[in-house]
Amino acid sequence: MRNPWAQTGNYRTSYQQDTSIFATHRELVSLLLFLGFLLVLPLFLSRTQVFILDLILVYSIAVLGLNITTGYAGLINIGQAAFMGVGAYTAALLAPQGLPFWLVIPLGGLVAALFGYLVGIPSLRVKHLYLALATLAFQVVFEWIVGHLPLLKQGGAMDMPRASFLGYEAGFRNHFHFWYYVSLVVLVLLAVFFRNLLRTRYGRALVAVRDNDRAADAMGMDPGRTKLFAFALGAFYAGVAGVLYAYLSRAVVIEDYTFAVSIKLLAMAIVGGLGTLVGSFLGPVFLELLDVNMEALSNLIKALGFSVAGVDVASALRPLAFGLIIVLFLMFEPRGLYNWWRIVRSYFRTWPFKY
Amino acid sequence: MSFLLQLLFSGIVLGLVYALAALGFVLIYKASRVVNFAQGQFIAIGAFLAYWAMVSLGAPFLLAAALALALTALLGFGVERVFLKRLVGQPIISVIMATIGLASLLDGLIHLTPYGAGNFSYPSFLPAGGVTLLGVQISYAQLLAMGFTLLFLLAFTWFFQRSTLGVAMRSVADDQMAAMSLGVSVEKVFALAWAAAGLTAAAAGIVVGTISGLNLDGLVHIGLRVFPVVILGGLDSIPGAVVAGILIGVLENLAAGFLDPFIPGGGTRDVFPFLVLLLVLWFKPHGLFGTEEIERV
Repeated sequence: MRNPWAQTGNYRTSYQQDTSIFATHRELVSLLLFLGFLLVLPLFLSRTQVFILDLILVYSIAVLGLNITTGYAGLINIGQAAFMGVGAYTAALLAPQGLPFWLVIPLGGLVAALFGYLVGIPSLRVKHLYLALATLAFQVVFEWIVGHLPLLKQGGAMDMPRASFLGYEAGFRNHFHFWYYVSLVVLVLLAVFFRNLLRTRYGRALVAVRDNDRAADAMGMDPGRTKLFAFALGAFYAGVAGVLYAYLSRAVVIEDYTFAVSIKLLAMAIVGGLGTLVGSFLGPVFLELLDVNMEALSNLIKALGFSVAGVDVASALRPLAFGLIIVLFLMFEPRGLYNWWRIVRSYFRTWPFKY
Repeated sequence: MSFLLQLLFSGIVLGLVYALAALGFVLIYKASRVVNFAQGQFIAIGAFLAYWAMVSLGAPFLLAAALALALTALLGFGVERVFLKRLVGQPIISVIMATIGLASLLDGLIHLTPYGAGNFSYPSFLPAGGVTLLGVQISYAQLLAMGFTLLFLLAFTWFFQRSTLGVAMRSVADDQMAAMSLGVSVEKVFALAWAAAGLTAAAAGIVVGTISGLNLDGLVHIGLRVFPVVILGGLDSIPGAVVAGILIGVLENLAAGFLDPFIPGGGTRDVFPFLVLLLVLWFKPHGLFGTEEIERV
């Protein structure tokens, strides 16, 4: 009898074992321990630090969606932030009407999914680069329309109400903590769905269509419907993230959903590792922490007096570091941080043996 | 009537700039199937290099322009050698992301110079005023820009039709394998395509700079405007880039002239090219002159 707590190598011998998510008890227990750690983590952190964690969680949700469209289905989406924006503006219109947040979150996701479906329609005819440009066009048109609609305050700040849950009010002091837990629950739910998607025929159809849509067609899948499904699902994730972002920042402004944010999300997906679950968390963690440290670094440079007249170091360092990271990862580690994670994990799994 | 003519004319001038910018984009795409999202940054770098040469070095316009063209071409060449060369054969998403990353990197570099924020304009080297033709006011800057662009387009046409290198580049675009077996250095052609893209981008930047002044965001924005142009013209067609560039420029100007009064806030020109892009993708995805992709299982 094999030890269910530790094993060196892949011992999956039956179909049932092969479809299981956790190979050993140890994996399940360590995941549960990590979740427990995440539950108590904010108790030891300041409000600002919890806010950064909130951002990481929210971006993780959007990146998960991007990993469905771009990672699984191979449809390049450079307009994910616009889908986030659709969710956020839905929230900005619905939340002041008195709807509770747990209703606004899925509604925002659904509206975004509808838009994702519409934007995905060109994917029935074109692919690759052409499709990427269709999403780019959606991003531009979205920004322009929001900027011209008096209903949406022409991109200016739309206030979001504070939320309450079962009589628990999220006030000034516990606002970030409240949204930390809400985001965490939403993220875990969506991540479980993401992980299980590939175990369903719909998920496997996504990968089949990505690898060869004609062959998938011949095997009886409908490539068109699969692509639209991927777009709608990816946009749903983005919409949910957008609603959470709106509640979190207590206002919806167009600047939070621009082309630059779309690129940031795509970079997070790539740095984490395209099409991987763990990568969807590692990417946002890495880039968000980098962002924070860049701010600190530019403040340091300013304090040391290295600044030249007319040069804004902060606005220079961010894109600089950001672009460098993307390019370096693509050149030297195209599989992303996920690959490092895999190496470390397999080292511990087989320890004390080499493999 | 003269309002329409005025719009048409300034649209054509704007369109020629788009044509120049799109030309560089198409050159790279044709040669190596790489989509260059950093074209806008190249445009900005070229324009500011010329400004720097004129203001800091005190060079006359033509010398400054030549210097900017050469340096930006060198930059394009270097970018291909250092970054893109290693990504040959990678999936298309990697290549797209690499040029997006590159755009961000170059953006950061420009922000490190004093040119990152604010508006600049070239020291005036042209007499004020202009000529009036059929009731249309044409400034000398616009005339110069037109001449400069046409000269450039002619030079490129000659290069691709007559010179050995140009023919080699066309052969690689046509069939990489066959070109390689006939002794064309594909690597060299890729690098050259990037150098040429740098050259055209700098030219576009300088032309925009003479007409409407220099501003980083404005210049970078032209890089995005290239996408509607190349989709309308066909991604791999050089004549398509020129025709579509002029078309988009004119359409954009007409939209701004006739639709803006009806839309609170205006700014139709920012969105109109992208609506065209969506329409083209919908009805004629390979554009006016692009090659239709034929796929086999």
